[in-house]
Order: sequence, then C-alpha cells, then structure tokens
Amino acid sequence: MTAIALPLPVTSGRVRPVEESAWMRRSLIGLALAFLTLFLFVPLISVFYEALRKGWDVYIAAITEPDAVSAIQLTLTAAAIAVPLNLVFGVAAAWAVAKFEFRGKNLLVTLIDLPFSVSPVVSGLIYVLIFGLQGWLGPWLAEHDIKIIFAVPGIVLATLFVTVPFIARELIPLMQSQGAEEEEAAVVLGANGWQIFFRVTLPNIKWGLLYGVILCNARAMGEFGAVSVVSGHIRGSTNTLPLHVEILYNEYNFAAAFAVASLLALLALITLALKTIVESKTGEKPVTTGIQE
Amino acid sequence: MSIEIRNLSKQFGSFSALRDVSLEVKSGELLALLGPSGSGKTTLLRVIAGLEAADTGQVLFQGEDATDQHVRERQVGFVFQHYALFRNMTIFENVAFGLRVRPKRFRPSAAEIRQRVHELLKLVQLDWLADRYPHQLSGGQRQRIALARALAVEPKILLLDEPFGALDAKVRKELRSWLRRLHDEMHITSVFVTHDQEEALEVADRIVVMNEGRIEQIGTPDEVYEHPASPFVYKFLGKVNLFHGRLHRGRAWIGGIEIDAPEHTEAEELSAVAYVRPHDIHVDKVGNALNGEGTIAAHVAHILSIGPVVRLELMRDDGKDKELIEVEISRERFRELQLTRGDQVFIKPSRFDLFPAQIH
Repeated sequence: MTAIALPLPVTSGRVRPVEESAWMRRSLIGLALAFLTLFLFVPLISVFYEALRKGWDVYIAAITEPDAVSAIQLTLTAAAIAVPLNLVFGVAAAWAVAKFEFRGKNLLVTLIDLPFSVSPVVSGLIYVLIFGLQGWLGPWLAEHDIKIIFAVPGIVLATLFVTVPFIARELIPLMQSQGAEEEEAAVVLGANGWQIFFRVTLPNIKWGLLYGVILCNARAMGEFGAVSVVSGHIRGSTNTLPLHVEILYNEYNFAAAFAVASLLALLALITLALKTIVESKTGEKPVTTGIQE
Repeated sequence: MSIEIRNLSKQFGSFSALRDVSLEVKSGELLALLGPSGSGKTTLLRVIAGLEAADTGQVLFQGEDATDQHVRERQVGFVFQHYALFRNMTIFENVAFGLRVRPKRFRPSAAEIRQRVHELLKLVQLDWLADRYPHQLSGGQRQRIALARALAVEPKILLLDEPFGALDAKVRKELRSWLRRLHDEMHITSVFVTHDQEEALEVADRIVVMNEGRIEQIGTPDEVYEHPASPFVYKFLGKVNLFHGRLHRGRAWIGGIEIDAPEHTEAEELSAVAYVRPHDIHVDKVGNALNGEGTIAAHVAHILSIGPVVRLELMRDDGKDKELIEVEISRERFRELQLTRGDQVFIKPSRFDLFPAQIH
C-alpha cells in the first residue's frame, strides 16, 4: 500500500547506516525463499508425490522389478569403483600439488579441472571415439573380445572421468594452506612415509576428504550425460538409475519413472544431510578450516 | 656431536641461497646463525638437518660424512619457527610421536614412553598441559612443547629455526634466557637461526653472521660486536655512524681529523669510510678540550634521555654527510655538559674501524 512509498527510515526508529532497512531485508529474504520454494522445493515434493500417487504397491513394484534392480546394482557398482579410485587419485594429486614443486604443476591442476569444463556428453563421446567399434582401439578390442563401450566398463570409465575433480579440488586448497611443516617435523622425528601419511597428513585432511567423497559419490550416482553416450541403454544390463528414469518416462510410465527418480532424490537428500554434518564438523575443528589458529 | 660443513652451495632457480659456505660447530656449543632474511641462514640449517639437499659440498657429523644420509637417520632435533605441532594430537602425543614411530625393536614400552614424555614436559615446565591440543596453548607454550618434542628422540644435534620469531617481545626475552639455561644443563650441540642481533648476542656461544649466502664473520658475541670484520657486520650488529674520508699510505683524513691507519699502509689515495659506534664518540662543548687535535663541529638536533644512557642526534656543521650522527653518552656526562637542543658541540671518534669505500 502507501506504506511502501513512505521514506524507509520511518518504519524502523533507528537505521544503522551500514544496514539495509528491515523492509528491504524482509523483501530480499522473501524473494529468495519464494524462488527456492518454486524451483527447488515444489519439484522435490512433486517427485515424491507423483511416485506415490498410485499407491505404495505400485511404488514398491516399480523399484523392485528386475530392470530397476539391475539399474540400482549398476549405479552402485559404478560408484563403488569410481569413488575409491578417485579417492586414491585425489589424495595423491592433492599431495603432489600442495607439498611439492615440480614442472607441469599448473598443467596438472588444469587437467584436474577439465571434467568440470567439458560437457559430460563430450566426455562420453571421447570414450566412444577411443574404445568404440569405429574408434582408435575399437578393432583391437573387438579382436580380443573386450567390450568397453555399451558395456559396464564404459559406464565405469565415464563415471570416473566426470567425478575426477571432486576430491582433488576439495583437498588442494586445504593441504596448501596447511603447508608441509608438520610432515617435515614428523620426518625429522624419524617417521617413515606411511607413518607420516596415516598419523599426520590423513587426520589433518579427513573432514575435507569425507566432504569430497560425499560430493563425488553423489555425482557418480547421478551422472547422466556421459554415461548415456557410452551405455547403449540396454535394459537390465547397461542402464544406470538416471538412464532407467529416462526410459520409463519416455514410455509414459510416469508412476514408475517417478518412483525410481525418488530414489535419486532420496540420495540427494541424504547427501545434503551428510554434507551439512561434515560441514559443521569442519567448522568446529581447526583441522580443516585451513586457517592455523 | 660436532658438525663440519664443507663448501656448501645451493641454488634456488637463479637465486643463490648458499655460496661456498664452510663452518665448524664444536661439540656442545650453542651457535647462532645471524643474518637478514634471504641471507641463507635458514637454508643452511635445513641442509644440516637434511630437509634440504645442497647442490655441492658436504655435511659431516663427528667427522663422518652425513651428506647423503636421510633426515630420518640423522638424529637431529628440529624446532620450527611456527612450531609445526601436530594439530590432531594432544600435547602428550606430540611429544611421544618420535618414540612411537620407532621400529618395534627400538620402541620403548608404553610405560617407558609415558615416563619419558612426562619427564620432558616437566623439563619445559608444562606437565599440566599434557591432555590439551596445540591450538589451546599460547605461542610461548607451543614453542616449549616443540622443543620437548624435538628432545624426546634424544637428538645428537638440536637445530632451531627462528625459534622465538613468532612470539611477542616479552615472551621472547623470557624464552631465550630459558633456552640458554637449558643448553647449559644439557650441553647438546645446538644451532639456531635468528635475524635478531640482540638475541644472538645474548644467547649464543659463537655467532655466524651471514649475508647473501656467504659467511661474513664467525666469532664470539664480543668479537663480532667489538671487532666487526666488514661494513656489513658493523651495520647489522648495532647502530653505527659513517664518516667519509680519505686514506693514503697508512694515514686517514676523516672529517678534518688526521689519524693513523697502520693496517692500510699500501693504500694509495683511496676514499674510505670510518665506522664508529654511538658510544665511541667523545662530545664536548669546547673544541680544543679534546687534546687540541682536529674535531668535527656539529649542532644538537635531538636529545633522547631515557634510562642511564642519553642519545644525542647531531647535525654536522660542515654540511658533509647529511645523515644525523648518533651519539650515546652517560647521564652523568650529559649533566656535566648541560646540553640543550641547538647547542654547538665538537665531536671526535675515540674508536673506529676504517674500510675502503665500497664501489657501487
């Protein structure tokens, strides 16, 4: 009403010069909340609503039919391979970048970021071009009866590729800010490489590492683009959860599509909860804040 | 254990951190490596520890070549400037670390470790902090724990990298006299790096003054302060006044004063600089009171009279050397002269060292 047109200071007796007025604050918060509700919260609710609309039995049937189970298994398998490999790679890369000076260090950091900057579809295509029948290694692989594209190995490779940056990216700034002094102190005291890693380095990065693993896992299970290109969409064999959702949706099997989608949504919620817990841990401990006291 | 360093050189890219450095550290002595930042003192310390490898040269412990020995096997204790305590471990575990990582055959039993750690914590007077974490301690406490941790493995040599550099002035003073006492009790060969000349002069048995990767002078605190070997050492250790003049066949003319310079008999018409400590300058109100010899006339520009020593800043009347001359006289002498700002005075260096002027 007219209140809006009034000069701002009138509503709140005192206005501190550096703060926005109460009216302004409320509008901004309201706007942000409205946006979040409309674009995030409503879709999330609707996923669960649509999934359960035809009843609990349909829901259970949709996620327990063989193709769905196989998709769940494949998704878990891909994540179970990609996450540990990236864990090892991420820690090794972050260790190298943070604690040593070497030629090509910037190149390594750029390469780690590559999967972030390349469209997932393109990264999937790269594997098709390398391992596909018409690709560089295709004829050789065919001779030796090794299937990568349109098979499980291709899906694992594609998942691996898109999830490379998560753990390394999380650890590099953390380890850089911690420096190498504690490791040096440990080696002077007579510790060997493994003792230094497990007793000094790992405890210092554990929360950051866990955070990276959670994000990496979420992406590994949710990846669509790259996996879609290399999978071939063979039901019950090379379908991951996101691909299975797409197939069901394209077949107008909405209840089943949303039921399977709700699993992915659930995964997202669990990830979010874990992430919040880990974040609060990292906040408490001086360990991973990156600032030394 | 004695340390011998032979012809060490080390490059970081185009920067020479160490240039042909040779040095001997006697068994049981407390030696200070003193120099400005970038003088190579920390690099030298890290090479001795084995944390850094020199490009050329050797490090010998007790006469045995240790150049290629791994840090782990050198049995040195190292104290870092920023403590480098293990932040995930309690103070107890920090000190116990060096014992716990030993191979099983050499590892003391849990009870022995506990006893040893508590002994060390008592030694640094922080036994009551055993269960705390490093971030709960003050800087001075942390540095003492770092020392206890280094001593836990019974090192043959103790190396300290700017051990008090990150502490405030008061704690720094306390800790350095404490370190001196500790060293007197334990007699472990120790080398510490510092850029604080006062710290080096106060604590060390001998001082190594370093500049641009080279050793400028080695000597007792008294030697390096009283008889600096180079203009650099003069400037770096304490305040000094520069008087420009001329040098010719064993005679020098500095600001109207003619003096003997027996160590420069071969000099032919050189320009020279006399380095004079503020307390080595005679001040008088009357020119001929100073034995009638030549003096330099000046005006009192500033008086700082706090404590037993009064500091005067003088401006030369002859216009040479625009920089103010700093003079320190006793309070007694100051009262005698009854000086105020603007007074004319006559000065004469009583003790100085002459160096040929550096060509730049």
